[in-house]
Amino acid sequence: MYSLSVIVRTICDVFAWFLAVFGVYVIIHGHLTPGGGFQGGAVVATLFAFLLVAYGGKKFIPFYKSSLFSWFETVGLLLFIGTGLVGLGTTFFYNFLAGQGGLFGSTVPIGPNSGVLNSSGTIALMNMAVGVEVIGGLSLILYYMFKGIRLYEESGSEETGHDR
Amino acid sequence: MNGVFHFFILALITVSAFFAIWFKDLLSSVVSLAVFSLLLSLEFYVLQAPDVAIAEAGIGAGLTTAIYVIALRGCKALKKSGGERR
Amino acid sequence: MKRQVLFLVALIIVVGTLWGGLSRIHQFGDPGAAPMDDYYLHNAQAERSANNIVTSIVFDYRGFDTLGEAAVLFTAVCSVLVVFRKGGHN
Repeated sequence: MYSLSVIVRTICDVFAWFLAVFGVYVIIHGHLTPGGGFQGGAVVATLFAFLLVAYGGKKFIPFYKSSLFSWFETVGLLLFIGTGLVGLGTTFFYNFLAGQGGLFGSTVPIGPNSGVLNSSGTIALMNMAVGVEVIGGLSLILYYMFKGIRLYEESGSEETGHDR
Repeated sequence: MNGVFHFFILALITVSAFFAIWFKDLLSSVVSLAVFSLLLSLEFYVLQAPDVAIAEAGIGAGLTTAIYVIALRGCKALKKSGGERR
Repeated sequence: MKRQVLFLVALIIVVGTLWGGLSRIHQFGDPGAAPMDDYYLHNAQAERSANNIVTSIVFDYRGFDTLGEAAVLFTAVCSVLVVFRKGGHN
């Protein structure tokens, strides 16, 4: 990818972080509002596509720590499976935290209400685990594909944009 | 009112899907596919499925477009180098 | 000529089955009787104390499906890494 013009990069600087905050909001409020781990993770991974398109590969590849995001992927999946395994005393994926008080344990009133953030037991934990995993996975796909493309382009000329 | 809105969105989805096939330039086709995906997410929202709408807007309109553009660049680079590397 | 007749027959079959299926679909916003839906709608909020019932189905009642989805994503990352690995044999 070429680095795009100043206008695109300025808009990216302003709006990319709103995108990240919105994705994290969707993940954390997954048990109250529409969305959840997968949707919020996809929104945050769109941030990396945005950065890659606006800034080009030369700046994006040093910025992106791929080992950190492999850890995200691993830790998310292991946390998800581990949360399922802890409830194995009753059944696999048993919600052992709901309504017990403590972490994510408060009860919600029945009927339409605006909800309590500290509720829903393992559902909130699993939302965060899946969100972290999806952020890692989708952005790693983008990163590895882009790096693989650059292997072919090394023989060609330097990166020369049409507007820079 | 709701019926008119439905009809309008579905007609635009059909038009964008037609253009995704009709363009000879692959990059234009990818952009048309992104528009298709965005309209599909709007349709999901109208059909009261906001979960699916967020997923469709994030993956369909954002990530898939970026992945397609990267793949197109890869094909172009491979063609330029004669396809002999690797 | 033969291809056009074949195309016409295929078109009639496809449109006929689609039309037959779509004419028997229930109205929008008026799903048919399903005991499982009613169970979720009435009990999910009390049992799992989550307001978003879709999430409580996806991550709790049907958590195994979500495990499969996460495994699919992991497999996708692994296969992309295998295809675009560094070096190769050149």
